[in-house]
Amino acid sequence: MSDLTMAEAIREGLKFLAAGVCMGIGAIGPGLGEGHIGAHAMDAIARQPELAGPIVGRMLLADAVAESTGLYSLVVALILLFVV
Amino acid sequence: MKVTLTRRDKIFLLIFFVVYAVVLIFEVPSVQLPEGIGERWIVDLIPSWGIMGRVNPMTVIMTWGIIVIILGFTLPIARNFKVVPNRKQAFLEYILNYIYQSTQDMITQENLVRPVFSIAATLFMFIVVSNVLTAFPGVQIVPTSQGLKVSLFTDTWYAPTSDLNTNATYAVMVLILSHVFGIKAKGFKKWLKGWFEPTPLMFPLNLIGELAKPISHSLRLFGNIMGGGILVLIVSYLIKYAFLPVFLWGFFGVFVGIIQAMVFSLLAIAYISAQVEEG
Repeated sequence: MSDLTMAEAIREGLKFLAAGVCMGIGAIGPGLGEGHIGAHAMDAIARQPELAGPIVGRMLLADAVAESTGLYSLVVALILLFVV
Repeated sequence: MKVTLTRRDKIFLLIFFVVYAVVLIFEVPSVQLPEGIGERWIVDLIPSWGIMGRVNPMTVIMTWGIIVIILGFTLPIARNFKVVPNRKQAFLEYILNYIYQSTQDMITQENLVRPVFSIAATLFMFIVVSNVLTAFPGVQIVPTSQGLKVSLFTDTWYAPTSDLNTNATYAVMVLILSHVFGIKAKGFKKWLKGWFEPTPLMFPLNLIGELAKPISHSLRLFGNIMGGGILVLIVSYLIKYAFLPVFLWGFFGVFVGIIQAMVFSLLAIAYISAQVEEG
């Protein structure tokens, strides 16, 4: 690592910074979305506890769709770390 | 569930954990981050074709392996189908019934339910087996700076779904099939008119919307399986392979794997239903 020129060192550092920022900001949206989904599922279960089974199943499904934007940022971060 | 342990089991477990702890303490300094994270073994079969002549051998081998696993599980059941099901048949019927129910909920045209169900069930079975394989230790081949490194049962099985090529193939297949079903159900003129709705000005947006479908469809599965695998490797390295990797494999392989397989096949049904239904 010691034989890097200044430009290469800046490039390496910015790569890691970009991956971190990408993952951190990209996780905000899915976090909010999954929080909403979980809150409303809890409301629904509180109102009708006998429907807990199907509600939890659909909640997990909606969670998986809501977290896809977070996964895009994960893919971008992995590309930044390992490929670029 | 109640677990009863005999005296012998308890002694065995005690010795097991003591040996585990001793090995762990002596191994900790020599644990290194495995090389070749996120790398793929790629063979240039026809170099003059460039990127089209490349083959990803592990994906091909594991795909055929999974086909053999699925056929080995389902063919004996299908050959010998009974009115009163045994355990395996009941398991298979339960899964397929769930997919059939969700297909019926989303597709209102009676004659299209069965073909769409076949597609969704096929996708689900292949993807679920391939994802759940990542929860078990197995054979993985990664390239390193000293050539190929074959890890036998020190890493999980290689899943074809952790390769974007597999996922993109299935997503593009679903996109094409959805339009074929759309032409079949609505007729060519109505299908063509669907691109220019509500006004012809919206055509570019409709086009981009359709092209974005396979990208999000395939990247969702790829990100989950591939990202989960890399996350498990790095977290396992951070805690020096002490106890946690088993649970991480279980979470990312079984839990996330089954949910993502379900999401993939349900979204395939939803995309087809969006084309088929008359809006």
